[in-house]
Amino acid sequence: MSLPIPLLSVSLITFFWIVAGLLAMFTALSVVVLSLTWLERKLLGRLQRRLGPTRTGPMGLMQPVADALKLILKEDIVPTSSEKAIFWIAPVLVVVPAFMIWVTIPGTENLVLKNLGDLGLFYIIAFSVVGILGLVLAGWGSANKYGTLGGLRAAAQLISYEIPVIMVVIAVAMLAQSLNMVEIVEKQGSYPYVLVFPLGLVIFFIAGLAEVGRTPFDIYFAESEIVGGPFVEYSGAHWSVFFLAEYINTFAVAALTVLLFLGGWSGPFLTGNWEIIWFLAKVYAVILVIFWIRGTFPRLRIDQLMAFAWKVMVPLSFYAIIITAVYLFYGWPPWTLTLMSLAGLLVVGYAIYRRFAGPASQAAQVRARYQALQSRSGQ
Amino acid sequence: MTDIPTGVVTRGEPVEMLLNMGPQHPSTHGVFRMVLWVDGEKVTDVEPHIGYLHRGSEKLCEGEQFHQVITLFDRMDYLANFNNELVYCAAVEKLMGLTVPERAEYVRVILCELNRIASHLLFVATMGLDAGAMTPSMICFRGRERVQSLFEAVSGARMMHNYFRIGGLKEDLPDNFEEMVGELMPLLQADIEEADKLLTFNEIFLARLKGVAAISVEDALDFGLTGPCLRACGVDYDLRKADPYSVYDRFEFNVPTGLDGDCWDRHFVRVQEMYESMKIVEQALVQMPKGNVTSSLGRRLPRPPKGEVYVRAENPRGEIGVYLVCDGTDKPYRLKVRPPSFCNLSAIKHLLKDTWIADTVVVLGSLDIVLGEVDR
Amino acid sequence: MINSIKGLLLTLVSTMNGLRSPVTRQYPEKGTLWKREEAPTPVQDRFMGFPALTWDGEVDEPFCTSCMVCIRHCPTQCMTSTMKDNPLQQEGKSTRRKIVDSFEINLNRCILCGICVEVCNFDAIVMSHEHEMSTFQRNGDRVNLPVLLEIGTKFQRETGWIPPTKRAKPEPEAAPAVAGDGDTEGSESSS
Repeated sequence: MSLPIPLLSVSLITFFWIVAGLLAMFTALSVVVLSLTWLERKLLGRLQRRLGPTRTGPMGLMQPVADALKLILKEDIVPTSSEKAIFWIAPVLVVVPAFMIWVTIPGTENLVLKNLGDLGLFYIIAFSVVGILGLVLAGWGSANKYGTLGGLRAAAQLISYEIPVIMVVIAVAMLAQSLNMVEIVEKQGSYPYVLVFPLGLVIFFIAGLAEVGRTPFDIYFAESEIVGGPFVEYSGAHWSVFFLAEYINTFAVAALTVLLFLGGWSGPFLTGNWEIIWFLAKVYAVILVIFWIRGTFPRLRIDQLMAFAWKVMVPLSFYAIIITAVYLFYGWPPWTLTLMSLAGLLVVGYAIYRRFAGPASQAAQVRARYQALQSRSGQ
Repeated sequence: MTDIPTGVVTRGEPVEMLLNMGPQHPSTHGVFRMVLWVDGEKVTDVEPHIGYLHRGSEKLCEGEQFHQVITLFDRMDYLANFNNELVYCAAVEKLMGLTVPERAEYVRVILCELNRIASHLLFVATMGLDAGAMTPSMICFRGRERVQSLFEAVSGARMMHNYFRIGGLKEDLPDNFEEMVGELMPLLQADIEEADKLLTFNEIFLARLKGVAAISVEDALDFGLTGPCLRACGVDYDLRKADPYSVYDRFEFNVPTGLDGDCWDRHFVRVQEMYESMKIVEQALVQMPKGNVTSSLGRRLPRPPKGEVYVRAENPRGEIGVYLVCDGTDKPYRLKVRPPSFCNLSAIKHLLKDTWIADTVVVLGSLDIVLGEVDR
Repeated sequence: MINSIKGLLLTLVSTMNGLRSPVTRQYPEKGTLWKREEAPTPVQDRFMGFPALTWDGEVDEPFCTSCMVCIRHCPTQCMTSTMKDNPLQQEGKSTRRKIVDSFEINLNRCILCGICVEVCNFDAIVMSHEHEMSTFQRNGDRVNLPVLLEIGTKFQRETGWIPPTKRAKPEPEAAPAVAGDGDTEGSESSS
C-alpha cells in the first residue's frame, strides 16, 4: 500500500481527517438537499392551499427518502444513439463542482472544511462555472433535440448571468478589502452589507436565481417547452444526481447571499460554533423566498432572459462596481453608498417600468374599452 | 415549406433543425403533434398533425339511437359537456318541432354557463402552466372542482353528464340547487379574481404574451376563427347575442373584446367572459320559473321526421355547429359537427410564423383546443 | 414591477390561508398519522357509479326479469343476460313470470351514462354509488349476477332506495306531444 501520502507530505492522521471532513460535508449536504425537497413541496403545497406530501411519515417527512429510494431503484436508461462517455460523465461534471464549492463555504468562523484564505471567493466563482460544461455535455450527449436545445440554453443563460455575479462579488470584495469569506463576514459585524449595498444584494440574488435555474429563470429545463432540457433522457440515479446538484447549488446561492450581504453567522445571543444556527436560519429564509418566487411567477422567454442579462444586469453590475470604487476612494460615509445603490435600483426599476409600459398601456386600453362596453350596456 | 434536412451535415452549413413536438409533449393539450422547423430558437415553419384521438364519433353517431348520441357528444369537447349536449339536443328538437319546457331552458342555460366558467378556468390554468406559472393552475382547478361537484349533484357525473334530453332534461334539479349555486358563486368569484390578479397583469406574463402571435381581423375571419379567439381581435361576435338561441335573449351581459388579437387578448377575453357568465347565471336563477322540465315525449324514443337541420351555438371555444340528416328512422343518417377547436387550430401555422420555441406552447394554449373535439 | 409585487403579496396571503385552512381533503381518511378519522369524501346523492341490480325484499328475488331493454339501449353494449321461468311464481309467491338467470356487465366498457336505469320498466337496475372496483385480473371487471345484486342491495341499504314507480308523483305527467311515433319501452319489453 503505497498511498501518495509521502508525496503530499501529509501524515496518515491528516489524511484521515480530510476524508472524514469530506464525508461529513457530503452527508450534511445530502441531508440539506433532502430537507430542501421536502420544504419546497410542502411550501408550494401550502402556497397553493394544498397539503403537500402527507403519506410518508409524519407530515410527509420521509418523502425525500422515499423519492431517493425510488430514483435509485429505477432502471437507468441510456439512449442507444447517445454518446455514452459524455452521457455518463456529464452528471459527474455537474455534481462535483456543486460539492467542491462547499469545501470553503464557512458555516461559522471555525466550522469550515478548509479556509482557503484569500483564495476563497475566487475558488467558489471558478468552480461554479464548471457545472455549465456538464449541462451542455448532458444535453449534447443524450442525442435528443430537446436536450441539445436545453444544453445550449443553459450555456447562454449561465454564462451571461455569471458576469453580474462576478461583478457584484468583486464589489463586495472591494468593500471588505478581502476575498476571504470569514473576513467578509467579520467586516459585517456592525452592520450587514445589505444596508449599505442593497443594489448588490438584488443583483446577486436575481443573477443567482438565474445561475441555478429557478423560476422565473428556469429556461434551460422548462418543463412545458423543452420537457426537462438537458435532463430529458436521464432517469434513475443519474437524474437524481442532477437533482442533487441543482438543490446544492440553490443552497449555495442562498448561503453566499447570506455570507456576502446578510451578515453571515453574526447575530445576537449565540457564540462560538452555535452561531451556525443563525447562518442556517438566514439561509433557509433566503431559500423560502426562492420557493415563494417560484410559486408566483411565470417563466421568461430565452430572448427576454438574455436581454435582461445584457441590457439590465450587466450594466447595473458595472454601476455597482463604480459606485463602490467611488465610495471607497473618497472615503464617504456608508449612507452615501446606500443612496447611490438605491438610485441605481430606482433608475433600473423605472426603465423596466417603461419597458412594460407599452404592453401595460395596451392592456389598459383593452380594459378601458371593456369598461366602456359595460357602461354602455348598463344604460 | 422547407425540405427536411437529410444526411450528415458537414462544413458548418447552417441548417434548420426539425423538432418534433408531441404527441407526448406535456404542453400540447392532449395528443396534438407539431413538427417545427427551427432556426436556433426561432420557429420558421410548423406542420400540425392531428388524428391521434380520432374515435370516429361522427360515424359512431350513425349507429346510435338519438338518445344514445348524447353520450357521444359528451365526449367530443370533454371540457364543455353541457354545451355540447345542448347543441345536439337543439338540433333534434328543431327537426322534430319540439318545444322545450321553459324551466328546462333556464336550467340548460345555467348549466351551460357554469360549464363555460369551468372550461375557461381550465384555460387560465393551462395558460399559466404553459407560461411557467404553477400556482394559477391550482387556483383554477380549485374553482373548477367546485363547479364540477355542483354538476355531480345535478347530473350524477362530474364530466360525462348525459343530463340533457331531447325535448327537456333527464330530471329536475335537486331541491337545494339554488342554495348550492348561492354558495358556489362567491367562492367561484374569489377563485377567478385570485387567478386573474396573479396572472393577467403580471409583468412577466405580459412580456410573454402581449404582442405574441397577433392575428388581424381579416385573417381571423378568413381562417374561420370563432369564439374568444375572434373576439380577441376586436370583433363583437357572439352567437348568444348575434343569433340568440335557447333563452339567451333574456339576459343582460356584455361581449368582451380584445384589441390586437394576440395571446394576451385571448387570455383576457376569456377571463372577462367568466365574469359575464356569472352574471348570466345570477339572472337566470332569478328568472327561472317553476314547472316541468322533462320532455313532452315522455318515455317514447325520439324519432325525427325525414329532413336535415343545421344548428349552431356558442361553445366556450367558439361556434359549434351540428348538421343532422335524418331519414325517418330512429338513428341519424348523417351527423356532422363543426368543431370550434378544429377551425381555430387551422390558424396555428399562420400564428406560429416567426415566433420562438417557447411561444409555440403559449400560442397553442391561447387557442384553447380540445383534442377530443379536433379529432372527434 | 408593481403587479409582480402584488402577485408576491397575493401568494403570501395564499400561503397564510394554506397554512390555516388547506382545501385538500385527504383520501380516504383525514387526520394525522397517529389519529386517523374515517371520513371518505361522500359522493352526491345523484352520483352515478357502476350499475347494479336491485333486490326485491318483499318477495325475496331480484326485480330484474331479464327483459333486455337495458341491454338494447346500452350505447356500448356492455351487458348480457339470460332469463328463466320464475320458480317462485309457480309457488304463487311472486307475480313475475320470468326472472333473471344470469346477468353480466363488463364494467370496463360501461360509460356510466345511466340510460339503462332510465329505460328499465321494473326498477331493476340502479346506478350505485360504487366507484372503486379496480381488480388485479384482466377480466376482473366483468361482474356477474351475485356481485351485481350484492352491490345493488348495498346501495339500497345505504340510501334507503324506493323503487321509482312507487315514489309519490308530485304532479301528473304532461300529455304526450304530437311529434315522435317511436316505439315505447312498454311494447319492447312485453316479450
